Amino acid sequence: MNVFQYFSANSQQILFLTQAHFLYVLICVGIGSAISIVLGLIVSTGEPNPNRFSFDWWATGVREGSLLITAAVLTVPSLALFVLFLPITGLGVTTAIIVLTVYSLYTVLRNTVAGLRSVDRAVLESARGLGYGRIRRLLTIQLPLAWPVILNGIRVTTLISISIAVVGSIVQGPGLGQLLLTGITRIGAANAFPQVLIGTFMCLVVAAVFEIFFAIVQRLTIPRGIRV
Amino acid sequence: MTAVDLQPGVPTPSEERKESGGGFLGVIRANYDLLVAPAIVVVGLIVMVAYVGSQTLDTIEERALEPANVFGQLGQHLLLTAYSTVLVLIIAVPLGIVLSRPGARRIQGGVLALGGFAQALPPFGVLLLLGFWEFGVRSAVIGLTLAALLPVLRNTVVGLQQVDQSLIEAARGMGMSARQTLFSVEIPLAVPVIVAGLRVALVLNVGTATLATYIGAGGLGELVQQALRLNRINLLFVSGAIIAAVALLVDWLAGVAERAIVARSG
Amino acid sequence: MSETENMIVLEAVEKVYPGSTSPAVERLDMAIPRGEIVMLIGPSGCGKTTTLKMMNRLIEPTGGRIILDGDDVTDVNGDQLRRKIGYVIQQGGLFPHYSIADNIGVVPKMLGWDKNRIKERADELLHLVGLEPSTYRDRYPRQLSGGQQQRVGVARALAADPPVMLMDEPFGAIDPITRDRLQDEFLEIQRTVGKTICFVTHDLQEAVKLGDRIAVFGTGGRLAQYDDPDTVLTHPADDFVSDFVGGGAAVRRLSLLELSRLELHPIETDAAAVGNRNGTPVAEVDGSGRPVSWRHLPDRDAATTTLVTVPLSGTVYDAVDVMLDGSASLVAVVDDEGLPQGVLHWNDLVAGLKTRERGA
Ligand SMILES: Nc1ncnc2c1ncn2[C@@H]1O[C@H](COP(=O)(O)OP(=O)(O)OP(=O)(O)O)[C@@H](O)[C@H]1O
Ligand SMILES: [Mg+2]
Repeated sequence: MNVFQYFSANSQQILFLTQAHFLYVLICVGIGSAISIVLGLIVSTGEPNPNRFSFDWWATGVREGSLLITAAVLTVPSLALFVLFLPITGLGVTTAIIVLTVYSLYTVLRNTVAGLRSVDRAVLESARGLGYGRIRRLLTIQLPLAWPVILNGIRVTTLISISIAVVGSIVQGPGLGQLLLTGITRIGAANAFPQVLIGTFMCLVVAAVFEIFFAIVQRLTIPRGIRV
Repeated sequence: MTAVDLQPGVPTPSEERKESGGGFLGVIRANYDLLVAPAIVVVGLIVMVAYVGSQTLDTIEERALEPANVFGQLGQHLLLTAYSTVLVLIIAVPLGIVLSRPGARRIQGGVLALGGFAQALPPFGVLLLLGFWEFGVRSAVIGLTLAALLPVLRNTVVGLQQVDQSLIEAARGMGMSARQTLFSVEIPLAVPVIVAGLRVALVLNVGTATLATYIGAGGLGELVQQALRLNRINLLFVSGAIIAAVALLVDWLAGVAERAIVARSG
Repeated sequence: MSETENMIVLEAVEKVYPGSTSPAVERLDMAIPRGEIVMLIGPSGCGKTTTLKMMNRLIEPTGGRIILDGDDVTDVNGDQLRRKIGYVIQQGGLFPHYSIADNIGVVPKMLGWDKNRIKERADELLHLVGLEPSTYRDRYPRQLSGGQQQRVGVARALAADPPVMLMDEPFGAIDPITRDRLQDEFLEIQRTVGKTICFVTHDLQEAVKLGDRIAVFGTGGRLAQYDDPDTVLTHPADDFVSDFVGGGAAVRRLSLLELSRLELHPIETDAAAVGNRNGTPVAEVDGSGRPVSWRHLPDRDAATTTLVTVPLSGTVYDAVDVMLDGSASLVAVVDDEGLPQGVLHWNDLVAGLKTRERGA
C-alpha cells in the first residue's frame, strides 16, 4: 500500500486527526498566550530601581521568577512533563492540554516583557507628560506598540507546540500523534510506514494553516503607523 | 534583532545582567538565574525519594528501578545526546558561517524561514520514520541530528547577523582582508553564538532522545515505556522526574559553560 | 482664577534623587511671569530637566512648594495636572501608532471633547505650526521629517490650550538651519497664543533669541542668575555666569537690538538730491520704489559700492551680517514693502548706536 492509497482510503480519519491536532494546539496556545500576556502586562514595570516592597518591586521579582521557571519548564523533555502529570490528571485530554499550555507560556511571556520594555522611552515620557496614567499608558501605548513582538512570540510558540503535541498521544492526547503511535506499533504491516509519514507531514500542513492565520491576524491587528 | 528569534531553551538574554561588583557575592548575584535549575532538581529529587520511600514497590517496579538498570539507560541516553550534538555542531556551525557570508545573503532568508517553519516538524515523527529504515542507535542518532539541525542552523545564522557590523567595517577599514576579518574578528565575536547553538542542540537532543526507545535505541524513555505498558504509576512518576532532572542538569551545565566562555571571550 | 502676576512660582523647591547624597536641585526660588518665555540654561547635568519636570510633577520634588496660577499644586493628582500643562521633549515623543491628527488630539480626547471639535482643533493647530492639514493629518509620525515631528509635538502640547508650556530642548536634535526657522515660527506662534513658557536649552544663542528672561543654572541646581537677556549678557551676576556666557557677549547682544528701535540716518531717493552737501546718501529706485543701487554717496564712489538691504524687523546682528556679506560699509534699512526707511553705517557700531524711545 503506498502513501496515496493509504491517504485516500483513510482520508476521513486523517482529516479528523488533523483537525483535532489543530484545535488542540489552538486551545493550548490560546490559553497559554492569554495567561502570559496578562501576566506580562501586570508585571511589566518601567521602574529600573523600584523601592523595596513597592508594587513595582514585587512585580520585578514575579517577572524574573516566572521567566526563569517557564524557561526551565521548556528544557524539560515533553515526554517527562506529560508523564509527570499522569499521576495527577490521568491519561487523556486533560493532561495533554495542561502540559502543552504550560509549554507555551515562556515564549509569549518573554516576548511580552521584551516588547513592552522595548517601547521608546521618549514616547512613554511624553505620554506621562500629557497626563496618561499608568494603566492607560500600558493599554493604549505600550501594548499596541509591543503587539508585533508579542504576536511573533505566539507564532513561534504555535509552531513549537505543533511538534510537541505529537508526543501528547503517548498519554492518549488528541491529534496526529495517534497515527505515529499506531504506525510504529504495527511496524512491518503494509500501511505502517504511510501512516507515520502522513502523520508527520500533516503537522506541516497544520503549521501552514496557522501561518496563514497569523499573516491575516498580523495584517488586521498591527496598527498602520508601525507596520513595516 | 531582538529576543524574538531565539530558540526555546535559550534563557533570558544576558542584556540585563547588571554590574554587581566583584567578589563571591557579586558572582552569585550576577548569576542567580543559574541557581534555579539546581534548586528545582534538588527539591524535585527530594520529593521523589520521599515519595518512593513511602510506597511499597512490587517486584516489577523494583527491578525497573535497580541502579544498574537506570544508570545503563542514563548512559545510553547521554551517549545518544552526545553523538547527535557533536554531529549537529559539525554540520550546522560551518554551514551557518557559510550562509552568513555576504555571497550567501540571498539563500539566507530562505533558510531562516525554513528553519522557523521546521520547528513544527515533530522530531518524534522524524525518529519513527528512520525506524522503518533500521531499528537501533544508528538511526536514532541520525534522527536526533536531523531534528536539531535546522533550529541550530537558524540560531547560528541569526546570531552571526547580530555580530556588530560596525566592528567588521572597522576591521575592513583598517585594511584587513575579508578572510582576516572572518578569522580574527567575526569568528571570535561569534563564539558566544556557537556556544549558544551547542546549548540549544543539547536541550533538543536530550528531549528527543527520550523517544529513541520507540525505535529500539534505549535511553531513559525506556523506563517510561515500561511504566506505561505495565501501568505502574510509581514508576511513571519516578521516570518522569529522572528525565526532567537529567535534562535540567545538562542544560544547566551547558549554561554554566556558556557563561564562563562568554565571560572569557567578551 | 486669580489674576496673579506670576504663572508659576517655585518656593524652595528641592530634589534629592534616591541613592544620591547631594541634591540635583537645591532650594530653588523662581517666579515665572504670566505670558513670558523663560529660558533655562546651564551646563549638562545641572538640573534643568529636573527643574522642568518638577513643574508638572513628572518628578516629585523632595521639598518646597510649586504654585501654578495661584494654586498650590504640590499635592494634586499629577495626571490631571499634566493635562493642563503642555509638554514637549527633544525626541518629539509622538505616538508611532497614532496618525498625526490623533496624536494632536490625545489630550482633548482625555478631556472628553467631542470628535468634531477635536478634528477641527487638530486642523487649526497643524495650520498654526505651518503644516498643511489636508496633507499631514492622516500621516503617521514615521512619514514626517524630524523638524515636522517637532512641530507636531508643539501642536500636540498646545491642543487643549494649556496656559503653560514646558519644553525640554525641543529643537536640540535639529539641524541649525531648520532650527533657526523653527525658532522664528515659534516666536510667531507665541505672538498669537501668548503662553507662559518654560524652555530648556543648551544654546545661549537660542536663549537670547527666544527668551524674555534667562535663568542660568550652576551645578547642583543652583540658580546663578535670573534676568532678561540683555542684563545676563552685559552684567553677569558672578564669575560663573560670565564664564558661561563667555566671550562674544557683545556680539550676541547685537541680536537683541531691533533695527526698528534705532535712530537711523536719513536716505534720499530723489535724483535732485545728488551732490547734496549734508552727507545724505541717495539711492536709485525701481518702479515700485525699492532701492536697487547707490546714485550718490557723500564720501566714496557710489558706482563701486553695492547696495545691500535689511528689513526693519531685523536686528543689528542681521545688518552686520548683510554688510559683511556684501562687503559694504553701509546698509539700507527697508520696511515690509521694501521701501527705504534709513541707513545704518558700519561706523555707527563703534561710535555707539542711538536708540529712540518708543511706546513699547
Ligand atoms: N532619575 C534619576 N536618578 C538619579 N539621578 C538623576 C536622575 N535624573 C537625573 N539625575 C541627576 O540629577 C542631575 C541633574 O540632572 P538633569 O537631567 O536635571 O540635568 P540637565 O540639566 O537636564 O542636564 P542636560 O543638559 O544634560 O540635559 C544630574 O547629576 C543627574 O545625574
Ligand atoms: Mg536635560
